[in-house]
Amino acid sequence: MAKQSRRDFLKTYAIIGSAAAGLSSSTKAAPKNFLSEDRMAVLVDTTVCIGCRKCEWACKTAHNLATDPIETYEDRSVFKEQRRPTDKALTVVNEYPNTTSDKFPINVKVQCMHCDKPACVSACIVGAFTKNENGSVIWDGDKCIGCRYCMVACPFQIPAFEFEKALKPDIKKCDFCIERTSKDKLPACIEMCPVEAIIYGRREDLLKVAKDRIKNYPHRYVNRIFGEHEVGGTSWLYLSSRQFEEIAFPKLGNDPAPGVSEAIQHGIFAYFVPPVALYALLGGVMWLNKNKKNHESNTEN
Amino acid sequence: MKTKLLILLIALPLFVFAQNKVGKLHQTQALNCKTCHSCDIPTKENPCIKPCPRERLITIEQTPADAPAVFTIDKMKKTSDIYAPVVFSHRLHAEMADMGGGCRMCHHYNPPGEVVGCADCHELTRKRTDLSKPDLKGAYHQQCMNCHRQWSGKVECESCHAQNGSAKKTESKPKTDLAAKKVHQKINPPAIVKYDTPKANGKIVSFNHTDHVSTFSIDCEKCHSNESCNKCHAKYKPASLANRSVADKHVVCANCHNTKANCSDCHKNSAVGSFNHKARTGFDIAKNHAKLACNRCHVEKGKFAGLKSDCSICHGTWTKDNFKHVSTGLQLDEVHADFECSDCHQEKNYAIPTCKNCHEDKTYPKDKPGKMVKKSK
Ligand code: SF4
Ligand code: SF4
Ligand code: SF4
Repeated sequence: MAKQSRRDFLKTYAIIGSAAAGLSSSTKAAPKNFLSEDRMAVLVDTTVCIGCRKCEWACKTAHNLATDPIETYEDRSVFKEQRRPTDKALTVVNEYPNTTSDKFPINVKVQCMHCDKPACVSACIVGAFTKNENGSVIWDGDKCIGCRYCMVACPFQIPAFEFEKALKPDIKKCDFCIERTSKDKLPACIEMCPVEAIIYGRREDLLKVAKDRIKNYPHRYVNRIFGEHEVGGTSWLYLSSRQFEEIAFPKLGNDPAPGVSEAIQHGIFAYFVPPVALYALLGGVMWLNKNKKNHESNTEN
Repeated sequence: MKTKLLILLIALPLFVFAQNKVGKLHQTQALNCKTCHSCDIPTKENPCIKPCPRERLITIEQTPADAPAVFTIDKMKKTSDIYAPVVFSHRLHAEMADMGGGCRMCHHYNPPGEVVGCADCHELTRKRTDLSKPDLKGAYHQQCMNCHRQWSGKVECESCHAQNGSAKKTESKPKTDLAAKKVHQKINPPAIVKYDTPKANGKIVSFNHTDHVSTFSIDCEKCHSNESCNKCHAKYKPASLANRSVADKHVVCANCHNTKANCSDCHKNSAVGSFNHKARTGFDIAKNHAKLACNRCHVEKGKFAGLKSDCSICHGTWTKDNFKHVSTGLQLDEVHADFECSDCHQEKNYAIPTCKNCHEDKTYPKDKPGKMVKKSK
C-alpha cells in the first residue's frame, strides 16, 4: 500500500516537475476562479447561535467523518479550550464570555471562510484550489502535491493536513458541502442549525439582511459585518455583539491576503531558483517525514 | 383673511379624509412611522413596510386564561427527525409573559383580529428566497432560547424535546396533562425597596413599590416592559445596578421623574415611608380625594407641581344649589341649608368654617350646623 502511494506520488511529482519548466502564473488563473454575482454565502449571527454544536455533528455526518452520538454534543466542557477546525472536524464552535451585556456567552462557529480572493488559491502552485461559481473554494486531491503552502497562506489557518497519510496528501477543510449543494440541498450545517443562526443565500442578499439587522437593532450588534471587506471579502459573513478581534477573529486588512507562502514562492523565483529544485527539495522533505513516520510506527508496534 | 378661511375650509375635509385613510388605529397608537415603514413617505403604491419589525406595534392582548393551555408544536414534524415535537405549556408561558410585556413578548407582530401565530409568517422551509426572517424552526427556537438560555444557561435539546426512539418519549402524555395544569405561583411584590446608592448626599432611595402600584395606579408594564421570567429566574442575571451607567440606573424612573434635576426628591439621607400627599404638598387628599387617580387632577403628563389647592380650579364655583353638603358627612339642618357657602366658608379650600358671622359663642367642630351622617359619594 505504502509502495503504491509512493509510486503515485513520484509519478505526480515527475509530471509536475516536467511541467514546471513552463509553469506560468496562468496555472493560478484557472477559468473557474472568478466571482459570480450570484455566488452563495452564509451569514452567521453569533448573537443567535446558542453553541449547541449540532452543526459540528451534521458536518461530520455529511462528510463521513467519525463522530460520537449526537447527545454527546450537549457537553459544553469542550468550550474550556479554543478549538480549530482539523482534518477530523471541518467546523468547530468556540465560546467567549459576553462582556458587552450581562447575558449568555458568545458562540462562534469556525470553518473555511470561502474567501472571494482566496489566499489558498493563489498560494497553491499546482492549482489544487479553485474558487467556484457558487462561491465555494474547493480543494482537488488529485492535483495536490502536499506542499502545504495553503496552510501557511490562509489568513484563517483553515486547511488541515491529514498526517496519517503522509504520502497521499489529504488537505481537509469545509467544502461548502459542494456535493449537497450541487444536488440542490442546503449545506449540512445550515440544514441542521436549530435556531437558524447560520443562513445560506446569495451573498448580496445576505449582506442586505445583515445590514438591516444592524440598522434595526443597533444595540445588539457592533456596526460591522466581518467578511464583507476583510481580505477582499469572504463567503462566510459574521455578525456579533462584540468587536470581532475580541472574540478571536484575526485582525485583517481589506486587501486580499497575499499569502505567506506565495511570498516565499515569489522570493524563490526572484532569486532564480528553478521550480524543479524547489520540488526536489520538497520531495526530500517529504521522504524524510515519511521515513520518520514509518520509523515511529515501527517503534510503536 | 376670507380667502385663508376658505382654503382652510376646503383643506380641512381633505386632511381629515387623508387621516382616515391611514386607518383609525394608526391615529390612536403612539407609533413612530419608521417602526413599520422604511421610507420617509409611504404611499399606497409603495408602502415600504418593514417585514415584521420586532418592536411594539398595534397589538391586541388576551389574558392568559383566554389562550390555549397546551399544544404540541408539530407543524415541522418529519419522519427523519431525531427529536420528538415539543409539548408546549402555552398558558404557563402566557402567565409568565403577562408579568412582562404580555402576548407580544412572543407574538411580536400581532395586529387586531385573530392572534397571529408563528407559522402565519415564518415559512416551513429553510431553503427559501425571503431570508429576512427565520424559518419556522429557527423562529421557534430563537424565541424559546432567548429566555431559556438566559434562564437556565442550558441549550440541551432534551430540556424540551424527547429523543425519538428513546424511552423518554412515552412520557409525553402525562407531560401534556401536567403542562395544562401548571400555573405560576402568586407573586408577592415588595412593599418598599431601599437602595443604597453611592451618592454622597442623599445615599438612600426608598422606592415604594406599593405606592407606585396602588396610589399612583401605574400599570406593571410601564416599568416591567420586556422583562421575562429571567428577571427572577436567570442564571445569567441582568447586571446589578451598581455596574450600570448613571443613565441606565435611572432609566425606569425617568419615565415619570426628571432624574437629571430634583435628585433630592428621591435621594434622602434616611429611609422614607409611604407617599403622603399632605406632608409633601400641604394638601390633604385623604379626606375626599383618596380614591382618585393622580391624573384626574394632575392632568398634564409628568407635571405634578403648581396645582393650586383652590377647589374651584377643578370643581368650578359651588353654590348652595349645586353642592350637596351631605357628601361631606354633615347634613345641614334646614336653617343652615339656605345659606350661601361663603357665609360660613371664607377660605377658598372650604376648610374649617366659621360661625362668627351669626353666632358669637359657637365654634366648629364643637358645635355643628346639622347632623353627622355616613359619608356619601
Ligand atoms: S479561509 Fe483559507 S482555506 Fe478558506 S478560502 Fe480563505 S484562504 Fe482558502
Ligand atoms: S458547509 Fe458543509 S463542510 Fe462546511 S462547515 Fe457546513 S457542513 Fe461542514
Ligand atoms: S448548530 Fe447553529 S446554534 Fe448550534 S452551534 Fe452551530 S451555528 Fe450555533
